[in-house]
Amino acid sequence: MAEKATTPPILQGPTAKEKKYDRQLRLWAASGQAALENAKVLFLNSNSGVVGVETLKNLILPGVGSFTIVDETKVSELDLGVNFFLEESSLGRWRAEETCKFLQELNPEVKINALRESIDAFADDPNRLEQYSLVLLIGPTRNARVLERICQHADKSSIPLFYIHCQGFFSQFSLQLPAQFPIVDTHPDPASTQDLRLLNPWPELLELLEKKTGNLGSLSDHDHGHVPYVLILLHFLNVWKASHDGQAPANYSEKKQFKALVESGARTNNSEGGEENFDEAAAAVLKSLNTPSISSGLREVFESDDCQNLKSTSANFWVIANGIQKFHTSHNGILPLPGALPDMKAQSSDYIQLQNIYKAKARSDLAAVTQTIRSSEQEVGRKSSIEQAEIEAFCKGAQFVKLIHGRPIRVAKCSAEIDWSDRAKALSQEIQDPDSLLPIYFAFLALDRYQDDIDRIQKLRKPTDDQQFNDIMAGRVVSGAVPPLPTFAESAHFSTPAVDPEHDPKPWPRFDIPEARETFDNVVKELDRADWGELHNIAALTGGMVAQEVIKVITKQYVPVNNTCVLDGIASKTAVFKI
Amino acid sequence: MGRDRFAKQSLGYLYPRIKQSRTLMVGAGGIGCELLKNLVLTGFGEIHIVDLDTIDLSNLNRQFLFRQEHIKKSKALVAKESAAKFNPHIKLEAHHANIKDPQFNIEWFQSFGLVFNALDNLDARRHVNKMCLAANVALIESGTTGFNGQVQPIIKGKTECYDCSTKEVPKSFPVCTIRSTPSQPIHCIVWAKSYLFTEMFGTSEDETPEFDHSEDSENAKEIENLRQESQALNSIRQSMGSDDFARKVFDKVFKDDINRLRSMEDMWKTRKQPNALDFDRISKGASGTKPYVAQQDQKAWTVAETFTVFCDSLRRLSARLQTSQAQSGADTAAPVLIFDKDDEDTLDFVAASANLRSIIFGIESKSKFDIKQMAGNIIPAIATTNAMTASLCVMQAFKVMRGDINKAKMVFLERSAARVINSDTLKPPNPNCNVCGVMSSALIVDPNRATLNDLVEDVLKTQLGYGDEFSINNEVGTLYDPDLDDNLSKKFSDLGVKADSFLTIIDDDEESPRVNLSLTILEKSLPGDTKAVQLPGKLDIARKPKDVPAPTSNGDTNGHVKAESIGLKRKRSLDEHENGVQQDHKRGKIQMPSKAMGSQVDDLVIEDDSNDGAIVIDD
Repeated sequence: MAEKATTPPILQGPTAKEKKYDRQLRLWAASGQAALENAKVLFLNSNSGVVGVETLKNLILPGVGSFTIVDETKVSELDLGVNFFLEESSLGRWRAEETCKFLQELNPEVKINALRESIDAFADDPNRLEQYSLVLLIGPTRNARVLERICQHADKSSIPLFYIHCQGFFSQFSLQLPAQFPIVDTHPDPASTQDLRLLNPWPELLELLEKKTGNLGSLSDHDHGHVPYVLILLHFLNVWKASHDGQAPANYSEKKQFKALVESGARTNNSEGGEENFDEAAAAVLKSLNTPSISSGLREVFESDDCQNLKSTSANFWVIANGIQKFHTSHNGILPLPGALPDMKAQSSDYIQLQNIYKAKARSDLAAVTQTIRSSEQEVGRKSSIEQAEIEAFCKGAQFVKLIHGRPIRVAKCSAEIDWSDRAKALSQEIQDPDSLLPIYFAFLALDRYQDDIDRIQKLRKPTDDQQFNDIMAGRVVSGAVPPLPTFAESAHFSTPAVDPEHDPKPWPRFDIPEARETFDNVVKELDRADWGELHNIAALTGGMVAQEVIKVITKQYVPVNNTCVLDGIASKTAVFKI
Repeated sequence: MGRDRFAKQSLGYLYPRIKQSRTLMVGAGGIGCELLKNLVLTGFGEIHIVDLDTIDLSNLNRQFLFRQEHIKKSKALVAKESAAKFNPHIKLEAHHANIKDPQFNIEWFQSFGLVFNALDNLDARRHVNKMCLAANVALIESGTTGFNGQVQPIIKGKTECYDCSTKEVPKSFPVCTIRSTPSQPIHCIVWAKSYLFTEMFGTSEDETPEFDHSEDSENAKEIENLRQESQALNSIRQSMGSDDFARKVFDKVFKDDINRLRSMEDMWKTRKQPNALDFDRISKGASGTKPYVAQQDQKAWTVAETFTVFCDSLRRLSARLQTSQAQSGADTAAPVLIFDKDDEDTLDFVAASANLRSIIFGIESKSKFDIKQMAGNIIPAIATTNAMTASLCVMQAFKVMRGDINKAKMVFLERSAARVINSDTLKPPNPNCNVCGVMSSALIVDPNRATLNDLVEDVLKTQLGYGDEFSINNEVGTLYDPDLDDNLSKKFSDLGVKADSFLTIIDDDEESPRVNLSLTILEKSLPGDTKAVQLPGKLDIARKPKDVPAPTSNGDTNGHVKAESIGLKRKRSLDEHENGVQQDHKRGKIQMPSKAMGSQVDDLVIEDDSNDGAIVIDD
């Protein structure tokens, strides 16, 4: 046995899987990939659903763990015209199974299931969602109840849910995240993550400063032109403070004066008429001399109850946040040092020395935070301790941590108005903008509501066969004496919303802005003309957008849309609303 | 109900136009696969696909028309086959070829109603841009990198063309930084890839795009030393395959060369001296390390591990090169190896060599994963961005096909959750653009008798009223200017000016120069009593806007190509002061391939990597 264990594996490069995913690993790293490969996506289809299939395609290619398609329909000629993952031979077969078959070809590693049943089953059984990690739901659902129940079940189990509409040239999706959805790795712009801590230098840095700039004036031209800009700034900060009661430049005009002071330090008796390192120093003045402050996102995290009052069951996120908050308080408002040093003009040996000083400080800050966390863990009686790597990642990106509060999907019912609660005011303000795309969202709500109404009437009438059902759906007169149902356009016209947030947050926003009214009417007309049909290209675009957000949610990296995105495919415009 | 019911309903009167359209798609990679699907399902009637590439494993995470079993096959052909299944009514044609091939001439471009660029490199983009302008066909240009994407409709005379704004060029480093005084990991990686690897396994290159020679003159002595160093290394190459080959190479580049550098005291007055490595000592320490440590690509290797990977990859590459040398005939060019980020042997060698050099200079070591990205100019690429970008291309195409140029937009995708898609109004053409800010016309030439003089006298001076100060240029360089009249009596064919090639006339009139005139050669037998060179119709050539400085007559009609293939960080003032006519000619020659259309000199191109553009990009 021992001999077997020491037999070296065959020499080869990275695994085929790593090679295949190489280009995306560079965006979300191995941790993101692992999250993706563990994800179980549930796709509840109640319409043609091309937008869902395109979304799945974009998740299968990068290697999502598994997905399940729920669909109770058979493939029609119409499907073939818009759905790329069906073909001639699929006609008349179960759409869930046929779509799965073709999607599977994209990536054999993904586990794929087809369920031919109505999505209503997921509304009826609150526990059926539990085995999935994310839900894609295509609207309109058969009625408002189905939508409402599924959203409630997802919320109860803290499963992220996307509710998606796509018809003709328009589409829309809303994202229901758990009530608390923290993101540590938001991938901020690298330039913005630099923290040189120039206003709070520490002994090792000051020691190097003294060594390198103690006699700045008498340095050789070469040495003078190679003092790293970080040290130049620190040096002139001391000069400045000496004549400003020990205060650093605080406002824009002082910083401008300070910049001039730095520039005046450059030697100009050379062919370039200046020095690159001093140019770098001058350019960095504005962004490097800010008094330490924390982002609003991080402040919100610090102030939240979960951060203040740790329990034995608190998520890692809160335990680390608590540790960093304590560090922040005990260190006069500074955060753990990220430790990265930008490139700069310098002798390599100086640069390396400076880099080591920053790295060492970052390590010691991390150690301090870790120590706090370890004692909190004991205090609250947590069973396992958080891994150092997780603490380190949080320390490095602390300034950019984001906590999203998930909001429920709005359900439009024929029997009741929507309660806009805290968003009523903001939405009625938004609609004042004549270019707003918000009316598109309302048009889709009107569609849901119309569908709910049709379903209600439907149940009253109990249509006897499919033909009659189809006729009713299409707004045609059903043979016999029964009067026709209103078309969507008619229905939407009468049901248009009116709201005055000052008096009543419940009814729909009022369309007293002619432009908003016009947009709404046009979208309604277009949705009506599209006749429940999807345009492939719009479905493909929307599928790309949805999949992008799904990946952000699954990997818990980057900040996802919060919480509703609308696409106007005629104007090639999108807008994001918090609803 | 017909399968195209929804498309008919939503697209209205545009739908029949789409069905009858003839469309060209250049590139069948990340954007191309998505785009083809969208075009097919939207009902575009006839689609031609051109791509010279074959399918690689790293494509499969997004290029969904391809599967495992398609690896190494033509992208164009497989894309066609995969897409054809989905709509039997659409005519698809695939060309596994380079879009710069002579068969794809202006006439061919003119046969399309619309062209989509779904390319991964600057050079091909520029070429298609130029061809579409010459053929007057609308172009939808697109590119992605990571979460970012961009779509730009280009319509001759109405919008900016691809070259109206300058494009970012790859970074370069002074030779001495790379060869003598590295201070960052990237310096060592460039050294390993562009110097050591090429000297050992490739063709030795004086002009590597990543080297910036603008400071050479300041360091003439060191440059001469470095040249001798390369020659010595080259002679070691002759002993490839021998038992002590690894030791020889190692001692040369990690000991002797380093000791030589160390001895140059001036260099280290203010820098930390490098420390040479000792083969025996490291070799002893590495005796327990196995070569498969090369698979650990996420961590920086130890010295012993780096050493082991260096020796092992050197052995693997030597064996490969010797095998292909043994197989190649005596009359063919000597085989060489080319660095490829996805070729494990070459990547291991570059990663190990770069890190050994980093150790010598006290620079931080990098993991193989990171080195792959830095050495290979890898652009992250994902399915979602491609899907969105391709759909946006089709949406812009609708506007162009409707004739709604005013509503067409430059569209951007971004990662931000605040907006998802951003758009910008299309800008009008840049009057100073060297590509579209020109007048273009065909030039009818009788190949049997036309001389350059016919063009100069009959057409330019007499018919178009040019003064004495102008030059005639093609992709090879300047054919004529007031000081270069040797070619006047030569026939077009003797000057290598063939059908479908371009001539550029640059007016150097001091008062009010005309915009550049671009002439496309059209060969035709003309009656003996007529002029041997003729214009097809009347031409009214605009004058350059006043604020533009007259261009230097260096035969460069496409200034950025210079920057792209050679100049890089060259400062403009240097160009103007130091580069005389001879140098310009030399440079013109190197550029030739990147601009040559229809010529057979493509193998001269100095191509670094496919991903040399600023936007763009998916392979």
